[in-house]
Formats: sequence, C-alpha cells, structure tokens
Amino acid sequence: MAAQLNLSGPPDSGLSSLTDQSMSSRTSNRSLRVAEKERRKNEAEDPSVLALQYFYNVEAGTPVNGNDEVERNLVLVEQVAYRNGLSPEAISIMLEFAMSLRMGHSLCPRVLKCLIPVTVVPQEAVVRGVSWLGVGKIPVSTQVLFIKWVLTVFDMIDAKDQLRAIYGFIFSFVSEENLCPFICHLLYLLTSKQIVRVFRVRKLLELQSKLGRQPFLLNLLSLYKVFCPELVTLSIPSRSKSVFKNHNMPWKSALFAVQKRNGSQVASSISLASASKDGTNRRKRKHHHLEIPVLSAVVNKQPQTETSRRLVPLVQIQSVAELLENMDHIELPAQMGSLLGSSLALQYLDCVQDESALLRLNFWIGYALHEELLFCGDGASQNSEESLQFLNKLLSTQHFLQEGFSSSDAFLYKFLNVWDGSLLRPQILGLLSNIPVIPSSQIGRLLFEPLMQLFFTSSVFFKCGLIECLSNMLLKWLIWHSVYALEDDLDISLNSHTSINMTLSGFKDSVMGLVDFVGRLASIGLQLEGCHSLLLSFILDFYTMVCDTFLKYGLPLVVMPPPGVFYPALFATDPVSVDRLAFIMYRYKVNLTSAKSQEKLTEQAFHISRQTFREFNNYTVYMVNCLWNSKMFQPGMGVQLREELLLKSNVPQYWTSFDLVHHPAFMSYAIDFHQKCWPGKKDIDLDSIKHSKPWSWYLEYLFSQGYDGLALFVQSNIRAGQGNGQQGDSLST
Amino acid sequence: MSDARSEKKRDKLPGLNTANILLVESEEQFQKSLADALVEETAVTVYVRLAKSLPLPKENEESRPRIDLVVFIINLTSELSFQSAEASLKYLDPGYLLGKVCFMVTNARNVSVPTKRLDAVRKLAAALHCPLLFAEDQTSDGVTNATKRLLSILKVSAGLVPMATALYLSSLTSCTVPPRHRPAKLRLAPVFSGGVSLNF
Amino acid sequence: MDESKKRLVQRLIRRIPTKMLKTTLEKWGHLTGEQLRAMDSIQSKWALTESLLAICEENELAVKHLTELEMIYMIDNPDQGMWYAFQLTDPGDDAQSVDLMQFKEQFKSHLREIVRQVSVKIKKHTDEAVWIRIAWGDTYSRPDHLKPTYVVHYLQTPYVFVTRLNSKQKPILFQAMVLSTRYQYFKDANLSGRNLTAIRDLLMRKYQQVFPTKYPSPLTERKQTVTNPHVEREQAKPAANRLQMACEAFGGGTLPQLQSAVYKLETKFRDHTNTLMTEREEPFRCVVKFSSTNLLESLKNCASSGIASTPVTPLLSSIPLKGKNYFVITDNGPGPSSQRRQTQN
Repeated sequence: MAAQLNLSGPPDSGLSSLTDQSMSSRTSNRSLRVAEKERRKNEAEDPSVLALQYFYNVEAGTPVNGNDEVERNLVLVEQVAYRNGLSPEAISIMLEFAMSLRMGHSLCPRVLKCLIPVTVVPQEAVVRGVSWLGVGKIPVSTQVLFIKWVLTVFDMIDAKDQLRAIYGFIFSFVSEENLCPFICHLLYLLTSKQIVRVFRVRKLLELQSKLGRQPFLLNLLSLYKVFCPELVTLSIPSRSKSVFKNHNMPWKSALFAVQKRNGSQVASSISLASASKDGTNRRKRKHHHLEIPVLSAVVNKQPQTETSRRLVPLVQIQSVAELLENMDHIELPAQMGSLLGSSLALQYLDCVQDESALLRLNFWIGYALHEELLFCGDGASQNSEESLQFLNKLLSTQHFLQEGFSSSDAFLYKFLNVWDGSLLRPQILGLLSNIPVIPSSQIGRLLFEPLMQLFFTSSVFFKCGLIECLSNMLLKWLIWHSVYALEDDLDISLNSHTSINMTLSGFKDSVMGLVDFVGRLASIGLQLEGCHSLLLSFILDFYTMVCDTFLKYGLPLVVMPPPGVFYPALFATDPVSVDRLAFIMYRYKVNLTSAKSQEKLTEQAFHISRQTFREFNNYTVYMVNCLWNSKMFQPGMGVQLREELLLKSNVPQYWTSFDLVHHPAFMSYAIDFHQKCWPGKKDIDLDSIKHSKPWSWYLEYLFSQGYDGLALFVQSNIRAGQGNGQQGDSLST
Repeated sequence: MSDARSEKKRDKLPGLNTANILLVESEEQFQKSLADALVEETAVTVYVRLAKSLPLPKENEESRPRIDLVVFIINLTSELSFQSAEASLKYLDPGYLLGKVCFMVTNARNVSVPTKRLDAVRKLAAALHCPLLFAEDQTSDGVTNATKRLLSILKVSAGLVPMATALYLSSLTSCTVPPRHRPAKLRLAPVFSGGVSLNF
Repeated sequence: MDESKKRLVQRLIRRIPTKMLKTTLEKWGHLTGEQLRAMDSIQSKWALTESLLAICEENELAVKHLTELEMIYMIDNPDQGMWYAFQLTDPGDDAQSVDLMQFKEQFKSHLREIVRQVSVKIKKHTDEAVWIRIAWGDTYSRPDHLKPTYVVHYLQTPYVFVTRLNSKQKPILFQAMVLSTRYQYFKDANLSGRNLTAIRDLLMRKYQQVFPTKYPSPLTERKQTVTNPHVEREQAKPAANRLQMACEAFGGGTLPQLQSAVYKLETKFRDHTNTLMTEREEPFRCVVKFSSTNLLESLKNCASSGIASTPVTPLLSSIPLKGKNYFVITDNGPGPSSQRRQTQN
C-alpha cells in the first residue's frame, strides 16, 4: 500500500529534485511537496518510484526487445495506474516518455492507455505532448490515441490558458485527415470568441468542401457561427444533431474504477460530462440531456496563494465577496448549462457582461430546447417532467437576468407553430411573455398568426392565460422603453447584449401592433365565450396598462379599446367590471389631457390623432348618457336600434335599462339603498332614487362600497353640483 | 363528379342540442381515444362517427345524421396517413369546406417528420381555409386538450354558440401559408442562430 | 489450474446475470449450502469468478461439471443468438421407435466415428426436447468448450434446432443426426430466429390458427368491446373483414416471435420502358428483408389496419403457412408468364 501512496502523491526527494529542473513551472505544489517530503523522509524508496525514475532517465535509443527492465518497470507503473491512478508528476513523466519516442513507438499506446489521473492532469504535460505531435515520427494511430486521451481527461486538466495559447498550433493539425475529427473536438472545447478568425473559418470551409459535410466540421463551424455570425455565412442544417462522440473507451472503465476507489468528487463530473457528450448512445443521452449539469470543476485543489497566475474555477466561489475579489480571473465551467443552476454564476454573467459566456449559454439552451421539444425521438412524452424542470429553471434564470435568451425566443417562434396549446402551457406562456420587442413587420408572422389559431380554438382558460401573457409582454416592453429611452431619446436597444437598435417610431409600431392584436382577440373572444367575466377581467387588466402608456411609461401613444371590449365591459353583469372600465376611462382622460397640454407647450411633442379623441369622446359621452342620463339610445351613439324594434321588445322605459339604478350590475345596490332610504315602503320604486337628493346619496352609497373607479370617472366627467340630467363633458379635438 | 361525393347531408335536419362529428383517420388509433373523450361532454349531446377514409359506405346513409364537423386526423410521421387524408378530401361535399372541416395533426414534434410533409399539410389546410390543430396524442393531457379544442369548434359549427357561425370562426382560425415560404432572410439556422436576425 | 477451466468459469460468470446466478447454481447442485450463501453475498463479477474457481478446486469439479452448469443456464435461457431449424426427411421403418437411450448412444458413437476430439453432452428437458451440447475439436486440438454447438431435437419428430454451428461441422452433425434418428435426409427448414420456442411453435404449428369462414366468427364479437352508443364506426364491416383475413393468414392469438423474413428474388426484370434490363438473360437478383421485434404480429397488424391489402398476399402468408422465413423466388419456367412460384429452396 505504501508504494501506491507514494506514487499517487507527489514523488519524493529523489525524484523531485529531478522534476524540479525540468518542470520548474510546476511550483504551485511546492509547499505541499515540502510537507510530503517531511512525511516521507523515513520511508524507503519504493519500487514504483524507482520505476518512474527509470522512465525519466532512460536514454533515447534504448532497445525494447528483450529488455526486461523496461517490461518490469512498466508493469509496476501500470499496476499503480490501474489501481490508484497516477499523480500529476507521474503523468508528466510517462507522457513525456511516450511522446518523445525515446524507446521507439511500440510502447507508446500501452503507456497512453495507463495514464489514469488520480487528481489532475498538469497542463504543461499536455502542452508538451501536443508539441511532440509537431516533431512527428509518431504513428497516426498513436497520435489519435493521444488526442483521445486529452479529450477524455479534458475536464481534469488543471488549467486551459496555455492550451488556448497554442490554439493556432493545434488548429494546424485539422488538415491531417485522420486526426481531424478529434482535433475538431478539442478545438471545440478550447474555442473562445477572440480565436475565431476569418482564415480559420476559411480553412474549415475548405476542408468541408474536401471531406464533405462532416458533423465534426459542422459542429466546430456552428460554434464559430455562434461567436462570430458575421464570419460564418454558411447555413447550418437545423437538424444536424450529431454531437461529438465520446472517445473515452480505452480509459472509461479504468477511470471509473480509480475514481470510485479514491472516492473522488471527480467521478461524478466525469460521468456527467460523458453523459451529455455521448452522441452515440442516444437513449442514454436522452435521459440526461435536460438535466442541468452540476456546477463543477475538476480542479479541486486548495485555493492557492498565487491566484494572480491561475484562473479560479467558478465553483470555488462561495460568496458575492469572493466573486468580486476574483472577478477578473474566473474560469467558466466547461458545461455552460451548469450556470443556470447557480445564482452566483448568474450574478457573474450579469455584471461581467462576458459576451462569449452568454453566447455559449445561449447556444446550449437553444440546443437543449430544440432537441427536447421540437425534434423529439419516440416516447418523447416520458421526459415531460424533465422538460418542465428545465423550463422552470430557464424561466427563473430569465427572471433573474431580467431578459430572455435569443435562442429561447427563436425556439418559441418555431414551437408556437406546432403547439397544441396545452403542453407545458404555464412555462411556454412564461417564456413567451419574456420575448423582447419584435419589429412590427415580423410580429404578425412570428406571433400573431400562430397565436390567433390557438386562441380561437382553445378553452376560455387558455384565452385568459394568453391575454395575461400578452399583458406581461407589453409591460416588459414598456418598462424596457422607459429604461432605455432615457439614455437616448430616439434609439432604444432591444437587448443589452446586442447592438441592434430600434427607432422610437418602430417601437411604437410594435406596441401598437400588439395592442391592436389583443384588442382583436379580446373582442372576438368575448363574443365567442359569451362575455365570460373571467376573460373580461384579464382583458381589463390589459387595458388598465394600455390607458396609462403615456403617463406611467412615458410612451407617447394612446390606443383606445375596441367597441367589442368597451360595450361588453359597460354592460357586464358584475359591478367590478363596470367600475374598472370607469377607472380605465378616467385614466384615458388624464393621459389625453396631459398629452394635449404638452402638445400645446412644446411643438415637438407627439400628435394624437383626432380619431383617438373622437373615439374617447364617443365612449365617454355614451357612458355618461347610459349610466347617468338614462339616454341609452341617442342618435349618433355607438349603439343604435330602431325605435319600432325597441318598442316591440316590450321593455318598459328601455332607455333607463342601463343607468346606475337599473344596470344589472348595480340593481342589487339600488334595491339595498332603496330599503335603507325608505325602510317603510313596501313597493320598490327605483325611479324615486333618481330625484336629485336621493341620487347624490345613492352615489355616495355606491362610492362607499369601494367603487373608486366609478367615483373618479364621475368626478372627472360630471361637474360638481350638476345633478341628474347633466351631460358629461368631452375633450375637444 | 358530384355523385361520387357522398358526404352530402344537407337534407337532414339538426337535432336539438346535439352535435355530430366525423373523425377520419386512416390509422384508426387516435380517433378512438378522441371519440371516448368527446362523448363525455355533458353540455351538448355529441355523436361521433369514426371512419378510416372517405367515401363513407352507402348502407349507413339512412342512419347517419347530419355531420356538423369533419376532422381529418393526420399522423405526420406517416406518409400514408397524409395521402389517405388527401384522397378522402376528394369525396367531401364542397359545402363542408365553408367552416366545417378541420385538420388535426399528431407527432408534429417528432424528429422523423420531414419538414416537407408538415409544409404540405399546412399548404393543404391553407388552400382549403381550414384550421390546422396540433395535438399530443401520447399523453392523456394532450388527448383531453385536443378534445376540448375540437368541442369548441364543433359547438360553433353545430350552431350552438350564439353570435358565431362556422364560417366566421374558420375565417379567424384558418391555417396560414407555411412560414417557410416567407422571405429567406427570416429563415433561421434554428439551433445555432442567436435569434431572429433583425435588420434595420 | 487448468487454463481452459479458468476461461470457462470466467465465461460462465460473465454470461449469467447476477440475479439468475443463484437459482442456476442451485439447480446445478454441486455446491454446498454454505458455498451457495457465500456466492450469493458477492457482488462483483470478478470476485464471483475467483470464488467459483476456488470452489471448483475445493469440490474437485471438472470441465464436464462446468459444461453441465452451462447447459442448465442455456436450457433456461435459450433465447440468445440465432437458432436455425432443420428437418429430417424420409423416415426409415424404425424411426418412430427410437428412444432416448438408443439415440444418446448412437449419436455419440456416430459423432465420435467422424471426429475424434469431440465432447458431447446430452440432457433431456422436461418438454420432450433432447438438448445436445457439442464441443468440437479437431485432430490436433482438444474440444473447445468456449464455442459449443447446441442442438435441440424432439424425439419422434423430424425437427431439429441448432445454434452456433459453423459450416465445417454442419455435414458431420447432419450425418450423425440422420444415422441416429433412422431418417434418410436432413435439410434446412429455412427458418431462423432468436426465439427458440417461437420457431419451434411455428414449425410444429403450435400457435392459435384461424380457419377461413363465410360466417361472422366469434372473433369479431370478442374484439368488439362495449362502446358508447354515441360512437359509431362507419366502416366497421370492412374492418372486421380485414381482421378476419389477417387472422386467417397469421393466426388469432399471440403469435410466435420472429425477427425477420428474407425474400431472395431471382426473377426476370419486367419493365416495358426499360428494354435494356428486360432483355437481359440473367435473372434480376435482389433481396428483400423484413425485420421487426415481432414480425408476424406486425404483418398481421398491417393487414388488419389496411396498410397491407387483404387478402394477404401468399408471399407473406406463407411464413406461418410453410413455417419458413427465408424464400427464394424464381420465375416459373422460361415462358413469358409472369406467374411467380416459390421454390422449395
């Protein structure tokens, strides 16, 4: 056991003096090593350390055949490797031995196969290994094996900065036909935004024309496209679903065994990484795909003193304070999806505004959404629980970041076209409400057409849900406007991370389009559902926001509700709806008045069309006539019926039917009031309330019941002291 | 030609508070679960007729009530299913196309569906001005929802919703031209694109 | 320790799933109760191998005992690998009177006459089937117990099922079989599948068959579950017809599980628009393969659901009818007739 311990830990004195000179950069573990040295002072040199020493010292050109010493030493190293794994130093030594071909290439594959790391793989060793590729007498199969090994232990390499630094060197190997798939995978893992260059894109395209549309090239190109869409004009097939294959076969079982034995945290992260990268085993991958990876870094070493040199993995950050301290040298995890699960990580993303990190996250989300919800395999229904969790996570992330991901928007536009209106409804509607402003030229096709079909063929509850969702969408757009419009009067940025701007008039067109669309849905929806009061309530919610666009959100736009909304609300059987309509009309008046006064004040201010004023006046006059003056059917009003027809209906005094006393919504109050006012009276004569004195009492009684909207409406439209029979005033155009 | 169009039931009168729906599906799978769910409706008496394809057999002519809504169920993963629906449409009385036909599509989210087929179904529905509903036939929630949506259309086309007619509803819900036939600029490279390319 | 024995133990432990190991070992009966319990507590396959090897040493169990263990497992789990059906023809006068002892003795001696290095183990299973395990060797090597051939024969029937037989040993086995069963010939039945019981049932007609009838059979009544009176099937009659015809072709109840059916076409190419191909002398060759986890059930479903036209084409219905799933289709004579004929082989 002692032997294994020795080899698994840093090697002791005899060897460390040797390693020090060659690997002077590996000073980070020095303090640890000193401690180890102390501990082992008394231990005798054990055979496996000697074996390593042998491989370190062995002369180039030493024969292999018939060399029992090599065999014996290699077996010793292998034993330790398969049992406990190799320490970083041992890996450096063995890798160097193999790649330098000091004893020819026959031992190479065997050595590579036993490079099972116990903790981490030193980056320098990998870099040196890569550099040996360039010297080039290594057989192609061994080169492939080496790259496969790098891919397998990629998450265990202690840092990636130097590897990224030799990106160009690694890239040069793509032209080697046999290495290409594996090199592409490695590049894929190393790519960052700065690395994407025209000449690399060109090289890859050239290769593609030579080799055909290979999935590994497409995958790398698609990543380039994510980083620099302007450089990659190539269209990538929407259904290219091949992920890079897993190449960990030669090491998989050994790695698992070693990690299991060591009880290391590394095991879980490797298994997750392999599960999500595994393209060959679709079934297995299916089950793991939407699982948000655990935020992890394999580099589980103690935080070092010289943090300035090394990057700090995000997983080690425990608090906001630490985050702030290490802000400039944080290493993002290999799996961007893991960021979704960590609020600290999101905090980091939000304040660093790291474009490439967001792009990577975006890419991952888009891929996952498409894969799970648009292009499902058979038995897609089984993982709906997973999808639910994932979408909820995505929603809370969007909520946290206060903005959506463009990939989820793009997904939604497509998903709406095949949605049944019920699958994951709350989540889909939630995501939908986060969609940023869409230009009015596209809003119809992307949103309105699919939503129309869904709305009119679905239940009233879906209708309510959709109206609520569109209200939230509008609210977010308006807030967006009020935040960004302050910075620049004309242009607002659609998304804080893109440079796409929109003019104010374009924004107004979009908002107008949305409001008109909801108006259409609302009028017809109310008609189809028999003025369902729940639906009406959601619609009035929407207009409560719309009527205040100018004052509350600073958007110079006033849109009146269509008659299909106004009249059903006015004639609703519940007093709350009528009250809310009154409130909405009151706010319209305040907004319009204020806009008008501004228009007079400054020449620049926006112009409200006469049509809007006319509509507003018509509604107000009708409302006052109807509720106050008992003159429902005046010529020139919104609702007109022929006199004969009204007489035929045999309704006595039909013109009073919807005044505040006889309105079905308020009738019960009127009767209640009547009883309170004239307790002795047996016959109820509601008309008696209309006399000047009881009328004002009745109004007071109504207002005291909490109908503030009605109160505000009456106060603003009917001059004080003018009792029954007074026409409401109107705004002049 | 019109002799061949057997679906002509104008001479039959509608029953009181009843609605009749005809489900046409060549695979005869989804229609069964839909039928079982449809007849559960209590507000209206719903009669369901199931057919594999049109024309309907002559011998049932007498017993067959006036059909208020014809639903063509198409499984997108099967070319046969689509072809069968297309062939059946030829036997439909043109009168039905005035708001009394709808298409219900299943498996639209399946990876094995060629985009061309979905486009073809869309084109068909758009050309006939019929609504195109998507349904999840694998889950019970999906079936319930599909049933509800069919019922809401059926009630209108059977004249049970005041102020609404089948033609009116179908003008609101009829399928639109496939999105793919829009300007190429808007076609996204879906998985990877960072969203809609908004060019101003 | 004997290397071949070690390999055999390794192979056995690897093949037998852990959860079945206990019952298999119990059936084997060569382990003491304590040893069984000890084996039961071990989880890893590697440790199990080591432990079983130690027990073999301790109980002095030889390779022949281990082959017995393999046979027990094989008999309980025959559905591994492909089984091929063969048929004996032209029975001799005494073919019906061959009994197990006689067969055992004769088979072994006939086989040993031809191959010296062969290890044969014969075991009678409860359902009249005789299981034969043959480990082949040749003149220079001892029998290889890692690649044994399994033969299942039902005494007094002409049917033989074989798995893992290579072509070199085929004639040897055939000869031994023919001689020891008193038949004249041995021929390929052109039937194969992963499920031994299924191909046996198919060949021996042990599945539920349905016979053509003009009258509504009780079948349709059975299928018609109580449906809501508000639901009416417009095409109920044709559907029932299709189901009847599908059942006539493929049988009524659960069907034997076949995995594939292969049609090898060797016919003249006929297409008026393509004279080049039509005028060719040699037949046009192509192979059509149907595969499914349960082929007959799928075919039946195709027919009953109307995907395949009814009545079912004889090409498909001859799978259960003839008990074959490999067909060669050739032209019937040189004439212009387009009649197709299925040859016997």
